[in-house]
Amino acid sequence: MQSYTRYERARIIGARALQISMGAPLLITTEKCDPLEIAIEEFQQNIIPITVKRK
Amino acid sequence: MYYRMKLSDKVRVPPHRLGEALDKVILDVLQEQLEGSIDKEIGIFIGVTKVLNIGEGEIIPGDGAVFYDVDFEALVLRLSLQEVMEGLVVETTSFGAFVSLGPIDAMLHVSQISDEYISFDEKNSRLICQESKRFIAVGEPIRSRLVTLSLNEREPRDSKIGLTMRQSGLGTGVWLEDDMNKEKEKEKGGERGSQ
Repeated sequence: MQSYTRYERARIIGARALQISMGAPLLITTEKCDPLEIAIEEFQQNIIPITVKRK
Repeated sequence: MYYRMKLSDKVRVPPHRLGEALDKVILDVLQEQLEGSIDKEIGIFIGVTKVLNIGEGEIIPGDGAVFYDVDFEALVLRLSLQEVMEGLVVETTSFGAFVSLGPIDAMLHVSQISDEYISFDEKNSRLICQESKRFIAVGEPIRSRLVTLSLNEREPRDSKIGLTMRQSGLGTGVWLEDDMNKEKEKEKGGERGSQ
């Protein structure tokens, strides 16, 4: 698994949580309903389709 | 003139459509956004026909949507002054006729119809030339030259497009046919004269 800095981690989870809250389809089955918690779970399973463009 | 253009733009794909097929979503978004809209440099968008290439998506802070660089193909009508256009009369009024050029309507003012005096026949909604009794009615095809062009990007319907028919070779389908026949007769007469 690729390692992210804490800033990158926050950005990815934040962006994904916003997507979920705006109605994006989920990538996991979960019992949680808070978008942020769902995003964190997705991040832990490493299945969020977001990459970081490093300069 | 109508153009088929290759254009590129950034397209916003809203989060709730992220699960669907990307090319279809992008085509939908582009069609919704562009069809019927006007860009002064590009023209009047009639349709987005094809998505050619989808680039990398980007996520911008504060928005859950993904922005893609997209190349696509679109059909546009770019009007230019002095262009000869064919259209259909959709409405006649006392001050002139409205002519549909396809995606947009243009105005043909009474003063630009003919050198003759024009009167408006309200009962039959026709514009009649006083001397030659030629007329313009709703539904007739018209060939005219574009003389004024003021496109409004925000309100496409407020655009002002002016036409003229006060030149030879311009007129309604019936007028053009009459002129053609007259011309042919003249030619025939000339031939006889020379024999």
